[in-house]
Amino acid sequence: MTRILDPTLRSPAAEAAVARAPRKASLDGATIGLLANGKSNGMALLDRIVERLRERHRIGDVVRVAKTNASAPVTDGDAEMLAVRCAAVITAIGD
Amino acid sequence: MPTAQPPAPRDGVEVADPWAAIEACYAKGWTDGLPVVPPTELLVDAMLAAGPWKPHDVLLHEPVRDRAVTAEKAAINAVMAGCLPAYFPVVGAALQAIGDSSFMLHGPATSTGGAALMVVVNGPIRERLGLNAKTNLFGPGSRANATIGRSLRLVLLNCLDCRPGILDKSTQGWAGKYSLCFAEDEASSPWEPLHVSRGFAAGQSTVTVFAAESGHNVLSHGTADPEQLLTCFADAMAGLGSLSPGRTVIVFAPEHAGHLRRAGWTRPRTQQWLYDHAWRSLADLKRGGKVEPAFYASPALVDWLFMDAPAGRPAMLPGPGEAGRVLDGDETVRVHRGLGPEDILLTVGGGDAGGHSAFFPSWSRGRSVSFVTKEIPA
Repeated sequence: MTRILDPTLRSPAAEAAVARAPRKASLDGATIGLLANGKSNGMALLDRIVERLRERHRIGDVVRVAKTNASAPVTDGDAEMLAVRCAAVITAIGD
Repeated sequence: MPTAQPPAPRDGVEVADPWAAIEACYAKGWTDGLPVVPPTELLVDAMLAAGPWKPHDVLLHEPVRDRAVTAEKAAINAVMAGCLPAYFPVVGAALQAIGDSSFMLHGPATSTGGAALMVVVNGPIRERLGLNAKTNLFGPGSRANATIGRSLRLVLLNCLDCRPGILDKSTQGWAGKYSLCFAEDEASSPWEPLHVSRGFAAGQSTVTVFAAESGHNVLSHGTADPEQLLTCFADAMAGLGSLSPGRTVIVFAPEHAGHLRRAGWTRPRTQQWLYDHAWRSLADLKRGGKVEPAFYASPALVDWLFMDAPAGRPAMLPGPGEAGRVLDGDETVRVHRGLGPEDILLTVGGGDAGGHSAFFPSWSRGRSVSFVTKEIPA
């Protein structure tokens, strides 16, 4: 037998290290964050999703953040602001 | 006396023989479509030993998805790509280069643009490793060129999940995405080596990386006059299909480089001439539908469109519905490729025979990424 090594970062240990956040039981009154990736139509897509959400849930305020560059990570300041203000955040790419 | 913890076993799979190992790599989705060398512990350890890094040193951190590629993972992928251990310092330096924050790897690794990771090698290591700077330097035939470039692609596929249709959304991609690594033909260059022009010593070895769209052959056999010759390059650079505020790589064939050398053209003069002549009118851009409504919402793109306008930036910008309408004066507004001469990287490579050079545009319709040069550790 020959042992060959895994070239990926997808080991069970690595995947277990990132836990999913708990799901919200309800969106009633929840502040929703929108994080667009900075492409031309990202926020347009997210705004449509908010329209659909309003049809089904009594969501509260909407906080919008658009990255200035789709290739760059969201800034620490924006990430912190979204984490503090929002009950849930939706992110999307829209080109 | 304390006893050291035995090292945790490295993730892997048991296979019956090397042929089964090749198929196991396919079955697990670990290849680029070509067979790989099975990464046994013995081969991976030999690869790691050829570089200055410890197994858990991070060579590349991709911040958008927070992925850290260690030297050990890089070595596994380098073995799979077919690298000799001696190539590993080049692979590691190239990973560090594409991980530089100014390279913004997430875009060229994932975008519909379908960029290849170009690696240009300079310095004494080129000859030690047999890196090809001459005939067919972008094509097949050199183990070092083929496998060093392939290592980067395997790292993107395996460590960053840049798999076609998953995170790699290239509309078409191109063959350079398998591998695009070559050496500069320093001896044929009219100028100092590329890495010296970028602040390194001639005796250092370096990689310079760029996120490249597919290369365009610039063919010229009929002139030795620099301005006639460079007219062909400027024309290719000004093609509407790839015109953008992004950067440019030109790889001059030795024959073309010789014309510039004999005429005494310096690197800065050549860059300036190309920048000055690689432009289209704003009217042309509009006729080609290249001025999108969203451009006017981007101060950087507005600056680009009007940086060489005789009347400067207009006081009133068109509304979204008017973005593409040709206005009085648009014929006289020159929109250049890039933001200045320094956006044009000049290097030299190819066979001694033939008037075939190459123009590689940057990968996006925006500003895209920078050139990054890193030293290859001794």
